[in-house]
Amino acid sequence: MKPKKTKNGGNTSLVFRNRMYVFLIPALAFFLVLWIYPVLQLFYYSITNFNGINYDFDFVGLKNYQKIFENGTLVNSIRNTLLYACVTVVLSNLIGLAVAIALNTKIRMKGFFRTASYFPALFSAIVVGFIWSYVYMPTSGMIANLVTLFGGNGAAFNPLGNYRIALFAIAIVEVWKGFGSTMIIYLAGLQTVDESVLEAGRIDGCNEWQLTKFVKLPMIASTITINIILSVINGLKAFDYAFIMTNGGPGKSTKTLMFQIYEIAFTDQKMGRASAFSVVSFFVIIAITIVMLIIMNKREVEL
Amino acid sequence: MALPGKKKEKEAVTYAKVTWKIVLLYVLITAFCIIVIAPLVIVFSSSLRRPENQNSPLMLFIEFSSASYVRAFSQMNYPMELLNSLMTTGLAVFCIVVLATMAAYPIGRIKSRMARFLYYFFISGLIIPSQMVIVPIAQTFHRLGIPNTRFTPVLMFITCSLPFSVFLFSGFMKGVPVEVEEAAYIDGASLWKRFSAVVFPLLKPATVSVIITQGMWIWNDYFYPMVFISRQNQYSLPVGMLQFLGDKENPAQWNILFAACVLCALPLIAIFMILQKQFINGIAAGAVKG
Repeated sequence: MKPKKTKNGGNTSLVFRNRMYVFLIPALAFFLVLWIYPVLQLFYYSITNFNGINYDFDFVGLKNYQKIFENGTLVNSIRNTLLYACVTVVLSNLIGLAVAIALNTKIRMKGFFRTASYFPALFSAIVVGFIWSYVYMPTSGMIANLVTLFGGNGAAFNPLGNYRIALFAIAIVEVWKGFGSTMIIYLAGLQTVDESVLEAGRIDGCNEWQLTKFVKLPMIASTITINIILSVINGLKAFDYAFIMTNGGPGKSTKTLMFQIYEIAFTDQKMGRASAFSVVSFFVIIAITIVMLIIMNKREVEL
Repeated sequence: MALPGKKKEKEAVTYAKVTWKIVLLYVLITAFCIIVIAPLVIVFSSSLRRPENQNSPLMLFIEFSSASYVRAFSQMNYPMELLNSLMTTGLAVFCIVVLATMAAYPIGRIKSRMARFLYYFFISGLIIPSQMVIVPIAQTFHRLGIPNTRFTPVLMFITCSLPFSVFLFSGFMKGVPVEVEEAAYIDGASLWKRFSAVVFPLLKPATVSVIITQGMWIWNDYFYPMVFISRQNQYSLPVGMLQFLGDKENPAQWNILFAACVLCALPLIAIFMILQKQFINGIAAGAVKG
């Protein structure tokens, strides 16, 4: 009955034997068949001219890769995705943190304000896309109407039609939907800060701003890290509002990585090229994640 | 866990003294909340108008009519879509909880290099957007002969939720005292019994968190159903909304579109209103504990 030390990878526990790994099999099966295997398949499809219907596809070597680099599609969508991610990460964390700090004081109707800030997160991205299409609509949309009401020219207001700001416009939609969850996580973090520490700070003559900067923020460093990681992951997935609100346009200005992959695969029916695109995105995202984790680790140690 | 939280809120009845700073804070936060919920209020007010009423939507609540709702309701095939949404989300969340707790059990309990590797193996799934692998997944389904039913997207929902759920459950597993299990072991409990009767009930906060966070994105997701479902009677609520895609730039259809938006969001809003506390705690626990 005694487990041998050498055979089971250093696990010598009687109660927690390696037999427990059986529990892992169903989840592992899902993960391998529907996640790891498809990722590996991407590499295979990326060197074919597979179109999704005809299985007599040919190998075309690195042609797909050449194509996506050639006409600037790849660089454009990487740039758009990074910009989108930066805007959403910075804004949703700043706004989320600010609202959380404001709500962490002793004010009335805290529950109401919290619910109001979180409310947009309950809506499906597709509903949010519809609502904001209306908000941004020139002439008869919500903001255009308000502009006209205050004597401006509502017809000229068309953020989704301007290739310079369309990407920022849809990033703001993402922030609107997402900052509430960020805020709730920050609020939970702030509530773990011990009141006596703050009291000590006050006795030492800190004002509220100094308390926030030198006491509260360092104490919720891990919450900040988690929130930033979550919103980076979310930002790099950017697809919904480019798909629903702008359809990638005007021009190529809101084509993000995921949107571009979807478009090449399902609109152009070029599964091979879409796979090549996915392979490159795969490495881009992993590179970004590694850089981010390194920076985060450093920062957390410093704080 | 619940008690100190409640106590704190009771104490908070002593509000801050009214100074100009506090007044400024109220003004700012109220203004901010108004800006945030303004689009929703306008959408709601417009949805209560007749479809023909095209007066400025900024005139709030000037008419109360159910005409737009009736039109949206019939265009959406609402009862069917609601039922599909309930079935797929329910099934997916149930499977996720079962599979993820089971997977987290050895990962959280066994102390070996293998267990640590498996932990990171699952978590690595968090960073790759799943839309990216949609092409090969569609082919895999095709090859395995999985037909396009309303339950096909569920397979993807489960797979995409596993990394986060396993991450969360293995984090919580550390908080379940080993001694409880050792006692059960001495009493002769089988491995399955130990898992299902001793460990699983103690994971309740994590289970609630997973049900809420994963249930919410699955309920709201339209991507997988859009790719995998072709028959209209299998649509879930968000996918059903896709038929309005052409109406979003046509102001004449807006009131109906808005009514459809409200109908689509209504079930989750209702659940949120009832279980608000669980939602807030579940979201926070998901990020803070893990």
